Amino acid sequence: MLKHLFILIWNKKKQNSLLLTEVLVSFLVLFAVFTLLVFNYRNYSKPRGFEYSNVWVANFNNDLGTTNGDSAAMFYDNLRRNMLSLPQVKAVCFTNANTPFSGNTSQTGFPYKGKDVRSINYYLAEDSYKDALQLHLLEGRWFAKNEGAAKNKPIVINNKLKTELFGTGKALGQLVGDDKNQMQVIGVVEDGKYTNEYMPAGKAMYVRPDTSEYHWMGTAMIRVAPGSDAAFEGRLYKLMANTMKNANIEITHLEDKRKSANNTTLVPVIILGTVSGFLIINVALGLFGVLWYNINKRRGEIGLRRAVGATGNGISGQLVAESLLLATLALLVGIFFAIQFPLLNVLDLPTGVYLWALLFAIVFIYALVLVCSLYPGKQAAAIYPAVALHED
Amino acid sequence: MIRLRNIEKIYRTDTVETLALNSISLDIAKGEFLSIMGPSGCGKSTLLNIMGLLDTPSNGQVQIDDQATTALSDKQLAHFRNRKIGFIFQSYHLINDLKVLDNVELPMLYRNSSAGERKQLATEALEKVGLSNRIKHFPKQLSGGQKQRVAIARAIVGKPEIILADEPTGNLDSAMGNEIMDILLELNKTDGTTIVMVTHDENMARKTHRLVRLFDGTQVQ
Ligand SMILES: Nc1ncnc2c1ncn2[C@@H]1O[C@H](COP(=O)(O)OP(=O)(O)OP(=O)(O)O)[C@@H](O)[C@H]1O
Ligand SMILES: [Mg+2]
Repeated sequence: MLKHLFILIWNKKKQNSLLLTEVLVSFLVLFAVFTLLVFNYRNYSKPRGFEYSNVWVANFNNDLGTTNGDSAAMFYDNLRRNMLSLPQVKAVCFTNANTPFSGNTSQTGFPYKGKDVRSINYYLAEDSYKDALQLHLLEGRWFAKNEGAAKNKPIVINNKLKTELFGTGKALGQLVGDDKNQMQVIGVVEDGKYTNEYMPAGKAMYVRPDTSEYHWMGTAMIRVAPGSDAAFEGRLYKLMANTMKNANIEITHLEDKRKSANNTTLVPVIILGTVSGFLIINVALGLFGVLWYNINKRRGEIGLRRAVGATGNGISGQLVAESLLLATLALLVGIFFAIQFPLLNVLDLPTGVYLWALLFAIVFIYALVLVCSLYPGKQAAAIYPAVALHED
Repeated sequence: MIRLRNIEKIYRTDTVETLALNSISLDIAKGEFLSIMGPSGCGKSTLLNIMGLLDTPSNGQVQIDDQATTALSDKQLAHFRNRKIGFIFQSYHLINDLKVLDNVELPMLYRNSSAGERKQLATEALEKVGLSNRIKHFPKQLSGGQKQRVAIARAIVGKPEIILADEPTGNLDSAMGNEIMDILLELNKTDGTTIVMVTHDENMARKTHRLVRLFDGTQVQ
């Protein structure tokens, strides 16, 4: 029977080519959409690496550029102490503008074992940075008060950077960087998804600021007590404004930042999903129409098949099988194209993402074709052979 | 071989009720070649379809090979049609998208016979109707007489005991028609196939063993 269906499909290749192309195009669109969805979902299901709720971010234009480093550090320490005196403030850290969900990045690189390691997110992290964001320490320790005495600059790295540098090997105590600027890994933290929750975490290193670096800081992350309200925000603002005369201060909540950061990924996905949804509906209607039309055109054939021994169920089974076979042919072509993405590593996504997307797209296409052909098939089974044979 | 008892067929549409067959009783013996004649619309095709289990009578019994067919399921009926009966139609009913050989193989497909066996039987059947040199053609590339010979090959490929032919020469000129008629006569004579043929042609009917005439759904001879 399979051979018979192949012959039938082959002999009608002209009529079938349109259907085949439709299925092929839908498959490729679905593959793209599912790749995106699987990629985003996988990222989303990974831990965030930090806690955003009750974290406020204050951006200000730093006008301390003229004073020397030590006094700048003292100035911030003073400000911090004042802020912490407010009962709602749990932790304060001053840092660069690359806070979570801000869209700002600051990247660096260093040599390790003759290899240049690039695209490492560089975070200036005071001792309180970990508490402000509630980073999850996986190994080693975070910075301590008297760190300055160490010969090598201590750094904390995230798990992703650890894997790239050391694989499964030991990270703690390892020296990285060149002779002039040697750094020692003292701790490993969980990967933090700083871009948004649907994007993968980047490689990261956390470095304790030198006093000289306080010149350039323009951001404070403040962990506040749950339920801190607008009135408190006003007080905080006033306190900062009084200390930093002429500074433009803007306070935002990480919770809000998170929403808009997530939207930069979600909105395109939703738009793409909607557009391809309409496309698929169109294809489904087209498919249904073509199958329906075919069956009406093939009434004589159906009557004849009944006359020579096909049962009603046999007829509908044959028609459904024909559609599924056609879909399989289109899928074979489609899979050939789709498989090139992981093989050539076109988009630098993990292979697993493509394989799941491939699976989903295949299942979806089969389900679509099955649903679209079941009803016409059932109608065909109900065709009365004597009537169908009488017609032409 | 075929036994009809008080066959009645009523077609009901919203407005009219047509009595297409009125109390037909008929016995057709094994090896008999019977022809049915009558004016257009008198119920010849309806009667043939009922004999071939393609249609069910409104009343009455159909027995084939001493077996009552009234209570048979769709599957059993399909099995019966596949094994016992070969149909030939005025308009051939070949599948245009299949080559001649594949068309002829069709009944064997529903017997789950192997591809090799199918091909062999189909080739033999085509030889019998003198078309072995056209097996790779599509129906569109054949003349009317050739198409009907393909249809006969398809009807005989499974070696059925009964052939039901509804105006098999109706679309053909008399030379072609005689050719087809000779094939049917030969089948009847050598293989002992029981044949029931509807025809409008007195000359054709005269060559058969027995003639039944219908008028307005009633048997008049
Ligand atoms: N499906 C149907 N629904 C309603 N009436 C039908 C149907 N099929 C046949 N009839 C009616 O039944 C009667 C017998 O039809 P049938 O096709 O058996 O005639 P026929 O003798 O074969 O005629 P012809 O020589 O033109 O082929 C006709 O009056 C026809 O209109
Ligand atoms: Mg007729």
